[in-house]
Amino acid sequence: MVDDAVEAPVQALSVDMRNLGRVGARPRFLEYLVQLWDFRGFIAYDARARVLSGTRRDRLGSAWLLLNPVFNGLTYYLIFGVLLHTSAGIDDFIGYLVVGLFIFQYCAGAISEGARSISSGRSVVQAFSFPRAALPIGANLREALRAVPLVIAMLLLVILLPPGEHIGLKWLLVIPALLLISPFNLGVSFILARIISAVGDVAHLLPFAIRAWMYGSAVFYSFDRFVTHPQLLQLLRMNPLFNVIDIVRSVLLYNRLPEWQSWAGLGMFAFGALVIGLVFFWQGEEGYVRG
Amino acid sequence: MSVAEETIFVEGSPCVVLDAVGKRFTVRSSEQSGWVSRNPLKRMARRIVGRQARAVTVQALNLTSLVVERGESIGIIGRNGSGKSTMMKLICGQQKPSAGAVYASSTPIMLGVNAALVPELSGDQNIVLGCLAMGLERAAIEAKFSEIVELSGLEKSIHLPMKGYSSGMSSRLRFAIAAAVEPEILLVDEALNTGDAQFLDRSRMKMDELRANAGCVFIVSHSLETIVDMSTRVLWLDYGDLVMDGDPQEVTAAYRQFTAHLSKGNNVSAQKIKDRAREQLVTAQLMPRVTGRRKEGFTS
Repeated sequence: MVDDAVEAPVQALSVDMRNLGRVGARPRFLEYLVQLWDFRGFIAYDARARVLSGTRRDRLGSAWLLLNPVFNGLTYYLIFGVLLHTSAGIDDFIGYLVVGLFIFQYCAGAISEGARSISSGRSVVQAFSFPRAALPIGANLREALRAVPLVIAMLLLVILLPPGEHIGLKWLLVIPALLLISPFNLGVSFILARIISAVGDVAHLLPFAIRAWMYGSAVFYSFDRFVTHPQLLQLLRMNPLFNVIDIVRSVLLYNRLPEWQSWAGLGMFAFGALVIGLVFFWQGEEGYVRG
Repeated sequence: MSVAEETIFVEGSPCVVLDAVGKRFTVRSSEQSGWVSRNPLKRMARRIVGRQARAVTVQALNLTSLVVERGESIGIIGRNGSGKSTMMKLICGQQKPSAGAVYASSTPIMLGVNAALVPELSGDQNIVLGCLAMGLERAAIEAKFSEIVELSGLEKSIHLPMKGYSSGMSSRLRFAIAAAVEPEILLVDEALNTGDAQFLDRSRMKMDELRANAGCVFIVSHSLETIVDMSTRVLWLDYGDLVMDGDPQEVTAAYRQFTAHLSKGNNVSAQKIKDRAREQLVTAQLMPRVTGRRKEGFTS
């Protein structure tokens, strides 16, 4: 709205704009990736500092990062193994449950933290100008760091709780499996982070969606028992979370080499989600600054 | 739009250019105005589609064009709510303009209380994190670390989590972090004048040092002495309009007269002073002179 009461004369100014860049402009995709790489120090420092500061007030400090999941697993053992004697028709049900729940916990944590990283990091976003993808990446890295003691606890529980599995060379396959699910989590985080920064309401629906995803991933039951329809089973087996849990169970509990289809499916989802997520997030780059 | 004079060619490459920049906010007001449906379902439906009866649009800054050259020190004055801070936030990219665009020769850095940090982390961790976020290298941060701690004056408290800091302590830390980079384009919001006398002295010294090295500086202050002292050119904003743009002495004199009339309750004569000032204002219209491709962003 221009004030009409006073009409100001106009002076045309010819300005050399060659050396100027628009403030807050979104760089081209490759340049964006280069900028992200330059901010790797920020991402790593932020993740490490926050993981370690989370338990600083407690007497046992960082030991809780390991103790927490161990107690978690022992509780399952106490309830399902000692009190209820449940096996749900599954060999080593406690191991089955621990593997399913711990891996789910990592993925759910990574996705929900990553999805909220832009809205919860608003103060940092407003204060500094850096490629915003650094925040979801930082949140995922944070969860990956927290997953290290989680995985150690998972292995300990699988070894120590009856029936007590034997350590084998195949166990090394846990590492590539977890490395493959992480880019998938990151890709989904990117997509959700952009959506949530625009429509905050979605953040309230996220826990329900994640819960539904857990039920659809055979975390505490086996598909074979409930799903008889072959096509539906095929579809359920595409789920990358199910794939990674299945791979880890095969090598830890049943001394089986996972089928190549599981790896291929997992890899495809991981790569696809990461590329789509990053491009989608980058397209919204200018919209993450808001007053 | 009356007089169309000859085009002036601005020599060299400017530091900051505002090309018809405007900012509008849509906020929710608690004032009961307009028609509100009594049916709660209808109210909710309007809310979901974002058309609420109580949504109010605030024009924080009307279309403004500005060319700031290297070596200029711009002071911005005006009453509360005149758009000073909005203009600063638009220049440093904290807010996105709803119209037009801001161009700059490098990333502008705002020194103020707004640089929020991570409350769970300790002061020293926040220093490293803030410096990394501004694109400093680890080696450079280590070299500057003790200087930042000293400037913040936090001493031993630097190892405590920031959520335990008083507001003065954390604003001192923010200032010290932001001052660690030597920006080409520096924005100073005088709201940072929180802190004890000792810190004020130190921050003033640091600011003078930064100003001397910067390509151009923007200062917002309610103290007209500070503005006259520090600027080479002053902008007077009122209700989101640029009222006057010129020599610090002249602009502050007119503004002082304006506020003096206002505080005596002479709204009419105050308005006259403002109108007279606006009559002399020459609105800039940009004609980009582009030979070759313009940079898309900054390569930091």
